[in-house]
Amino acid sequence: MRLRGGLAAVLVPALLLTAGCGGTEEAADGPDVLRVLAGSEIKDLEPLLERAGSEAGVTVRLTYTGTLDGADQVASGRADGNLDATWFSSNRYLSLIDGAPAKLSTQTKIMVSPVVLGLKPAKAAELGWDRRQVSWADIATAAEDGRFSFGMTNPASSNSGFSALVGVAAALSDADGALSAEQVATVTPRLKEFFSAQRLTAGSSGWLADAYARDPSVDGMVNYESVLLGAREPLTLVHPSDGVVSADYPLTLLASAPEEKKVLYGKLAAWLRTPAVQKEIMTGTHRRPIVGGVPLDARFGAGQLIELPFPNRRGTADELIATYLNQVRVPAQATFVLDTSGSMKGERITALRQALVALTGADSSASGAFTRFSNRESVTMIPFSGSPRRPVPFTVPERAPEQVLAEIRRYAEGLTALGGTAIYDSLRAAYGRPVTSGRYGSIVLMTDGENTNGSDYAGFESYYRSLPQDSRRVPTFVVLFGESDVEEMRKVAELTGGAVFDARETSLTSAFKEIRGYQ
Amino acid sequence: MKRWIGVVLAVVLAGVAAVAIVIGNQGDGAPQATVVRGVIGSEKKPFFDDPEVKAAFARHGLRVEVDTAGSRQIVTDVDLSRYAFAFPSSVPAAERIKRDRGAAVTYSPFYSPMAVATFEPIAELLTKAGVLSDSGKGHQTFDIKKYLDLVAKGTRWDEIPDNSSYKARKRVLLTTTDIRTSNSAAMYLSAIGYVANGEDVISSAGQIAKIAPVLAPAVLDQGFSESTSEASFDDYLALGAGKTPMLVVYEAQYLAHVFAGDGAIKPGMRLVYPSPTVLSKHTVVPLSGDGDRVGKLLTEDHELQALAARYGFRTTDPQAFAGLVAKTKAPAAADLVDVVEPPTYERLDQLITTIDAARP
Repeated sequence: MRLRGGLAAVLVPALLLTAGCGGTEEAADGPDVLRVLAGSEIKDLEPLLERAGSEAGVTVRLTYTGTLDGADQVASGRADGNLDATWFSSNRYLSLIDGAPAKLSTQTKIMVSPVVLGLKPAKAAELGWDRRQVSWADIATAAEDGRFSFGMTNPASSNSGFSALVGVAAALSDADGALSAEQVATVTPRLKEFFSAQRLTAGSSGWLADAYARDPSVDGMVNYESVLLGAREPLTLVHPSDGVVSADYPLTLLASAPEEKKVLYGKLAAWLRTPAVQKEIMTGTHRRPIVGGVPLDARFGAGQLIELPFPNRRGTADELIATYLNQVRVPAQATFVLDTSGSMKGERITALRQALVALTGADSSASGAFTRFSNRESVTMIPFSGSPRRPVPFTVPERAPEQVLAEIRRYAEGLTALGGTAIYDSLRAAYGRPVTSGRYGSIVLMTDGENTNGSDYAGFESYYRSLPQDSRRVPTFVVLFGESDVEEMRKVAELTGGAVFDARETSLTSAFKEIRGYQ
Repeated sequence: MKRWIGVVLAVVLAGVAAVAIVIGNQGDGAPQATVVRGVIGSEKKPFFDDPEVKAAFARHGLRVEVDTAGSRQIVTDVDLSRYAFAFPSSVPAAERIKRDRGAAVTYSPFYSPMAVATFEPIAELLTKAGVLSDSGKGHQTFDIKKYLDLVAKGTRWDEIPDNSSYKARKRVLLTTTDIRTSNSAAMYLSAIGYVANGEDVISSAGQIAKIAPVLAPAVLDQGFSESTSEASFDDYLALGAGKTPMLVVYEAQYLAHVFAGDGAIKPGMRLVYPSPTVLSKHTVVPLSGDGDRVGKLLTEDHELQALAARYGFRTTDPQAFAGLVAKTKAPAAADLVDVVEPPTYERLDQLITTIDAARP
């Protein structure tokens, strides 16, 4: 899973995510190779895992995927046969899916990291949270009053966002036990208060940290303690007094793994739990050790960390995620700049139509259910060929979204391919549209070839730099497809604070689904 | 590090025999050792992995290879035709397997009472709440009846008076493993079911219908529960009272660390005993002649009995266990009087299913 070098740091997490996602690419095998489907969260363990070869006799081959997508792969049996183990930050959601537990064999916890709030030290001091214990209710009140802003990953695509959502909901509901689906409805108004202060979203916790680093207007992040402790600029960590939800990173053997892989799994798990490796995980990646004998570093704080109950019904978990997306979060303003030039004819335009239709509620998988256009979201399509066509806006209503979703579906099915490729004029048209306050704006740029008409990249760059601050905050997520100009597309993503998604080896549908986590 | 269970193998197996032979050739001085494969509860895996245990079997010409599965899974899901013996963690499961497979005998070479692992500040709060008291026999007793009263009232930790040590808004609930997969949770359910059923072993569907609603909050309101007893014990040891203020464990899980003196049990950790408690009787069901030899050896071989005691199990020879307790000053109850029998496998299974269906 090494990446081609020389990439801007901001692009790396997303690229890694796409690189191995979709499960189509079979990890190379060998007698000492353990093929592990992993969350991108554990990417920071790669240097350590390289030593597993010489020290434990196990070569670890990691294939990265998002939490829910990974759950899909395991539960559906698609992982059987070409993967031996999984390593996500948590197996909790996966365990709630019918039939999934039977796919899992031994689970060995490796390390722990709670999801907490990290704030710029000056902001923490201003709020007084560096000196006294605060609860999630205190934090929600300050959020509603606009006293701070934060970033958090999308709960449907990343475990840190999901854990935070579960924790905040459990704490704000004042529930004394596991949350029920009915309690989710009761706590929704309080969740709205809390999440009104969210200014950044992301599909992965690593990308969130990078996006946070480049946006000085955001005061903090809700993220893994390990990510917050490892941030480039120091953060003041707030461990809410009423509790947290923690990731416990279970290295999990798949029941389908062949006998010889089970032996490798056993060796790797044992090695990872030796005191020396546990200590190294703690020092190197800021995670808490799971083995009782390894003393905790002082930077984790001495206070007792209460763990909030996690739902034990999938219905509750799903209800919580759906409520967040459709009612609670700052609504998205998503613009799709879509190449419909002549080169898209045939299979490609069909793939594009399918990818868009999948986002209108047609995908019924665990990950698909949460990637549809959300209630309250505004979606604008800007198809282009030799020049940008007229933007077509849709707004999904707060309730009963079916009609608008059907309109988007019909629109997508009517896309046709013809003419030249004016990438930058079209992207410019997207950036030229007004930014709506109170919405989270983003642009998706999908093209299958080089720019043939209108202004070039340099022209776009100078245009972008001349834009007002709030327009420049809108990131562009580019999708590599067909014969995309990879270098230029990377420049676009880097310039705008977006990311690159590679659909060349997977599919447009999976790339679009993944981008949904970032919108 | 003895107790980690990562080497555990799965239930569904392919190529079992081939691999067993490869492993079977590792130098133990008995090249012609007979490979005997069993399916066992996960908590016994460290015992079977111990080189001394392997050597003891080798001296009798056996190489014992094990796969792990939950006791309920062993009954329902595992293809037992692949195995020479099954070694579930409870008598009801063993009896059911014996009946299904037409086995002639069973062996119960060791057992472990269900216990509660907690922490000093929590123990003090439980004492204030009237749940915990001194047995007068050197161990603390966790009163299930009083505990169920607290559960019925929905008492939260921060509602216990004079509580400055654990002000969590969570309810006072024992952490258990998943009742659907794990034997330790099923054993715990047997104990609280006995109390809820008016101090009587559950024996009818009518009783289940009556007590399931009473027991459901005790197991379901804790939220997500781990699928194995080793995973939840990891949480107890590493994350402490914040995550797991009090955990249902096998006594052996806790004592194995005390006997080994490996530092995992820290000052402030406490082992207490529910009243009533249930004994988890690890029971071998032989499925072949070789499986029968394994059962016999585990029960009669002094060396294997002594090794089992080192893993915290109580064996047919009480001296081995008592000696280790005396030597390490382990907090083990010398005399457990309030021990009740679990219901039959079918009744317990019915109780679990009914409780699980209590919440959609």
